Amino acid sequence: MTRPVTIPPPTSRPPIWRGPTLGRFTSWTFLVPAVVIYALFALFPMVDGLWLSFFDWDGVSADRHWVGLENYAQIFTQDPVFWRAVQNSLIWVGLSLVIPTVIGLAFAVALDQKLRGRNAFRAALYLPAIIAAIAVATIWTWMYNPIFGLVNATLEALGLEWLIQDWLGDPDLAILSIFVAYVWQATGAAMVLFLAGLQNVPVELKEAARVDGANHRQVFRAVTFPALMPTFIVVTVLSIISSLKVFDLIYGMTLGGPAQSTQVLALWSYTLSFQLHDYGNGMAVAMVLLVITLAIVIPYYAWMGRRDEA
Amino acid sequence: MRARIAQSDPVKVALWITLLVVSLIWIAPVLFIFLTALKTRPDLIATGTFGLPTEIAWQNFPDAWEEANLSTTMVNSLIISFLKVPLGIFVSSLAAFALTRLRVPLGRVFLAVIIMGAMIPVQVALAPLFRLILGLGLLNQYVGILLPYIAFGVPFQVFLLTAFFKSVPRELDEAARIDGASSWGIYWRVIIPLSLPALAALFVLDFVATWNEFGIALVILQRQDMWTVPLSLQAFTGQFGNNYTELNAAIFMSIIPVIIVYLLLQRYFVAGLTTGAVKG
Repeated sequence: MTRPVTIPPPTSRPPIWRGPTLGRFTSWTFLVPAVVIYALFALFPMVDGLWLSFFDWDGVSADRHWVGLENYAQIFTQDPVFWRAVQNSLIWVGLSLVIPTVIGLAFAVALDQKLRGRNAFRAALYLPAIIAAIAVATIWTWMYNPIFGLVNATLEALGLEWLIQDWLGDPDLAILSIFVAYVWQATGAAMVLFLAGLQNVPVELKEAARVDGANHRQVFRAVTFPALMPTFIVVTVLSIISSLKVFDLIYGMTLGGPAQSTQVLALWSYTLSFQLHDYGNGMAVAMVLLVITLAIVIPYYAWMGRRDEA
Repeated sequence: MRARIAQSDPVKVALWITLLVVSLIWIAPVLFIFLTALKTRPDLIATGTFGLPTEIAWQNFPDAWEEANLSTTMVNSLIISFLKVPLGIFVSSLAAFALTRLRVPLGRVFLAVIIMGAMIPVQVALAPLFRLILGLGLLNQYVGILLPYIAFGVPFQVFLLTAFFKSVPRELDEAARIDGASSWGIYWRVIIPLSLPALAALFVLDFVATWNEFGIALVILQRQDMWTVPLSLQAFTGQFGNNYTELNAAIFMSIIPVIIVYLLLQRYFVAGLTTGAVKG
């Protein structure tokens, strides 16, 4: 059953190719391993997914028939969970553009000062970003534990008992509770990008502004902020994309529940395909997610390409 | 140290104290995990959330190690990470070399199609990927997970390495070319040695990403003896979800390897995250 998969070995120059076409062949041999693996195991599954989105199929049986666009019609008109997932993904994207971005910028501006122990602070603030999303999910499930969790215990200690909630059990609240865990994990990336952006703010400009009598805040508004514009674009796009990719965190914390209230597109596609054995609809949801992603990514790369050439 | 801080400007002192407090709040969840992992079960109920353990329950760690089957899953994760990361970087660096240094027909198109993949959520392809690996008979095998891992790693790595290779002066390979070096020679003797910082950064980033990966592993590694650490952690939550002290010990042990790698190689990490993404 096992078919051997051969990865073409990187070649030095096989003598048989010596001759006028040599340049072309060798350049191809460098490119081939990456392109073949990428095409087979990343691109092909996406194309296959598109193809399968036109079929009615449970993913297992031989019974599979072409239904055209019916799966799409079904998810758009008869699937309330799909719309809940769209709504949650939109809320997630919207919130993620503001909250981790603002906190990350604040951290970066603070860490950009010359301070004692700056590296230790940076390590601490970036720490959650390296923890597996699935571990973040278990950590925060524990944080939200109604009896032993740190969240409710802190509220109680502060005399804020009236704020105590069943954070992950309340369908209206659960998605926001998970989002808090996401903020904890996602802020580090924004922070690092802003820190790098701050290195590019021309020091001479800042000094000139200071000489002209500008105070800290005026320098930030007039010099630092405009110089950070490219960083804002990068952070914005990466925030949107990583919001659309959220999967592990919700899988680990609620599995999309209670009552499918925390479904997002990525998880709903998985749930349809693997748990509800409806490959057709699952792939249709995946294709919606793909189209949304491409609609953001293509203009972004076009912008980056122009910036590179400039 | 106090005297030094007091000497400096009061705004900085306030900033320093704020940062200290915020950092402590920020890592509180990790400290809380550790605190819980050190308690016995009766202690957990008796001491409340903030209380310190009356006796340190080190036994939670070996018990959790056993129950979460971490001896198997840690080995799987280590094998997969240490095969995937160098192989993936090697394959990507060859491609990035071809795209920046050699004349490849349609090179720009290839580059665009490849790096487009860096942004696409893997969940889009999860079910078809499962079908493909099943069809190849590679389910529950290292090769079956390594190939998709390399495939989904290629875009970001090629993106980062092409950006880096462009910064290596072309005169160097022209000089080597005149001295009779082949393309492979230029790749191996000129470009790679000059790119070690970028490769180190990629290594760290990719190690952490591979160690932490969950979605692809979830569909391809279905047999328990093939699980990686994230899968066993997730299963532990389901099975022993009420055994809070051991659960917290398991969480803590699962994040230790990446924390060590991160603390040791922090500076490469920051360099890797920012190269290519933001430049002047």
